[in-house]
Amino acid sequence: MKLKQGSFLWYLYLDKLYCLLSVRNVKALVEYFHLLDVHRKNTLNDVLFYHFLHHVTDLTRNQITVVFHMLDWNAAGEIGFDQFYMLVCILLAQENHLEEQFLFRHSRPVFELLDLDGELKIGPDNLYMYNFLFNIKKEQLRDLYYNFDITGDRLLNYKEFKLFTIFSMDKYQESQKAEKEKKNEKALLQKKVAQVNESQRESLLGTKQFESISNYNC
Amino acid sequence: MEGKAFKASAKSSSHPGSGRSSLQDIRSMWSTATLSQPKLNVQLPTVREDSELEDFSVSGKTRWSYDQKAGHDAEGGWEASDGGEDKDRFKPEEPELGGDSSQGSRLEEDASKTDNEKSTSESSLNISRHTPHRAYWVEQQNRLPLPLTELMENEALEILTEALRSYQSEIGRDHSLTKQLQRYIEGLKRRRNRRLQVLAI
Repeated sequence: MKLKQGSFLWYLYLDKLYCLLSVRNVKALVEYFHLLDVHRKNTLNDVLFYHFLHHVTDLTRNQITVVFHMLDWNAAGEIGFDQFYMLVCILLAQENHLEEQFLFRHSRPVFELLDLDGELKIGPDNLYMYNFLFNIKKEQLRDLYYNFDITGDRLLNYKEFKLFTIFSMDKYQESQKAEKEKKNEKALLQKKVAQVNESQRESLLGTKQFESISNYNC
Repeated sequence: MEGKAFKASAKSSSHPGSGRSSLQDIRSMWSTATLSQPKLNVQLPTVREDSELEDFSVSGKTRWSYDQKAGHDAEGGWEASDGGEDKDRFKPEEPELGGDSSQGSRLEEDASKTDNEKSTSESSLNISRHTPHRAYWVEQQNRLPLPLTELMENEALEILTEALRSYQSEIGRDHSLTKQLQRYIEGLKRRRNRRLQVLAI
């Protein structure tokens, strides 16, 4: 999923630690929501919601419908600002590659969103259905159910899901750290190479000068 | 952070994630727009943005930073300075006078007094010249930057125009919802045109 470059949402950003919008961002988002709230009900119906998502993202019709049903947790056929705000946070988390952080910070609301039936458990189908939103790969899903299904019922309750988010967050932080170390090493190496080249150049210049002086003396 | 409804955080810190291009940011457009207003050769006060946990002990309110050259970074843009703190910043210092009673020293004192007064009055003049226009900043606390409003309205217009086509095809042109949407779009267009006319002037 990608946000359309230059769209209003594209200019918003999440706090990297808490994965939430700042108050100023929320204020702007409220104004934007009210602009789209044509019928003055503080909600967006399915048509408006579809056209909004279709305009600002590259999601397909089916995906947009899935998202709508996920957010319409009251089955009212309309999306209020709370759900709209949550959607925007999810979209921005994906856009800014903060999925693991987002899942870790907001595991409870996400779990409740994924728990469509209200059984307080989510199956692999549920998770896979929303794969395009949370960017959980197939192998990760397999590992998830293999490693974290402690009860063995092939479903994840909230605690198991929370464990998974903690684990993936740790993994994400380790990968970030490894990447950073790699970058530092690369930078150090480049610096050393530059220094060696510089010293070589200087020594060459020195010998050349010496040669020219000795030639001159002769 | 748990609970169904998200609560907006009081501040935003750090930069956005990867993938941002170097296109001109709406926030830098805003900062250019403000420069087109009566020019102030102002060194805008830059107060460090502190975390929620700190700073409450100091001023009792969260401080925001304002960066006029709000380029592409997330910290830039529309987080304005706190006017209340500017007041304290720009309070001129009162000169301290010595306790000598002799005439020479009194004259000196007077001279120094007048000098001090001059310097304080000059500094206060300078300060008043450089103090940001308070009404403008107060207004900015409550309103969104104009370029951002424009962007939002243009985008909303595009979305709603497409939605109108769906309404017309699905529920018909004569339906009350379709007519309501049509009227709303026309209202938005009128507002946009009015604003463009004002800008053109």
